[in-house]
Amino acid sequence: MQKKYNRLVFILSLAGIIVAVYVLQSFVRQSSIICVNQGCELVRKSSYSYPFGIPVPAFGLVGYTLLAILTFLRTTSTSKKLLYPILAIAIFGILFVTWFTYMELFVIRAVCTWCAISAVNMYLIFYLTFRMFNETHRHKSV
Amino acid sequence: MRLTDISRCKSNKIKMKLSGESKFFIAIAVGTLIMVTIGIFLMSRPAPKLTRAELIPASAATLGNNQAATFLVEFSDFQCPACKTFSSLVKEVVEKNKDNLFFSYRHFPLSQHKLAVPAALAAEAAGEQGKFWEMHDYIFANQESLSEEFLLAAADKLGLDKEKYEKAFKEKIYQDKINKDLSDGTKFGVDSTPTFFLNGEKLNLFSPKDLENAVSKAIKNN
Repeated sequence: MQKKYNRLVFILSLAGIIVAVYVLQSFVRQSSIICVNQGCELVRKSSYSYPFGIPVPAFGLVGYTLLAILTFLRTTSTSKKLLYPILAIAIFGILFVTWFTYMELFVIRAVCTWCAISAVNMYLIFYLTFRMFNETHRHKSV
Repeated sequence: MRLTDISRCKSNKIKMKLSGESKFFIAIAVGTLIMVTIGIFLMSRPAPKLTRAELIPASAATLGNNQAATFLVEFSDFQCPACKTFSSLVKEVVEKNKDNLFFSYRHFPLSQHKLAVPAALAAEAAGEQGKFWEMHDYIFANQESLSEEFLLAAADKLGLDKEKYEKAFKEKIYQDKINKDLSDGTKFGVDSTPTFFLNGEKLNLFSPKDLENAVSKAIKNN
């Protein structure tokens, strides 16, 4: 089960990287984002999409890349310590996407499809990581 | 003997490290990379230029010289604030280059703008009486106060034949034309308003100033 979860987190992280890279290049080149609604452009142009002057997708890119590296490293080592940073990133991730989704809905008042996809993605990663974490701990106590 | 033992040991170690699972992960990563590369390659191929006939159907509202080599087409929404900003600039650009530029306005009413379609119907109804551009300007100038009543009352303001105008407006005679513009726009890859096509190529504008520059450049090159 652990193996399966770890694979899924890895694949979801890769998906997250792709989305983040695509959206980030639009931020940097200031080109329009292909979006199912009009939201992406509104969100991209909002100043809230640059916390500390850093474009939001950059956070995603770093987070997903770390997750992909860490999950990969788990295949090379049996150490359970690797789970802690993964869980920490996933927790930060869901806090971040929850904050940003809140900003989109109530402050920017526009929803960007890619951000929504990334938010769901991060929640899935968190859920899977949480399951992995729980399992290792159960095994420990037994 | 000892040396070969060590080397065997080393190679075993490496083999041990790269477990089947690691290889599986690498395969997924490489596979993803290949798919993304193919995707980028396919998407970055330049879109074929659209023809003048495709972009400017005979019934479309136009300005400028229809013999001009350079043609500019705008897909716009009467209720979109950015379209309002661009509308005055477009008029300026067309006025400045009226001998060398052919401009056409096409409808792209967005679904979230409830008055965009009525406004487009009103503009077409006025267009029937040769006053499309007067209505166009009037709507953009009063974008904040748009309403069905406002559009109906516009007939008096612009000196239109009221009965004829109201009939065209209320019976939505030009709905098909607007729908055609909308479906053409979608087909041409319009995803936001305003979207401009200059000589058949979609423009990526970062500021209103870019439009003016692009038009001047196109005219110079033609």
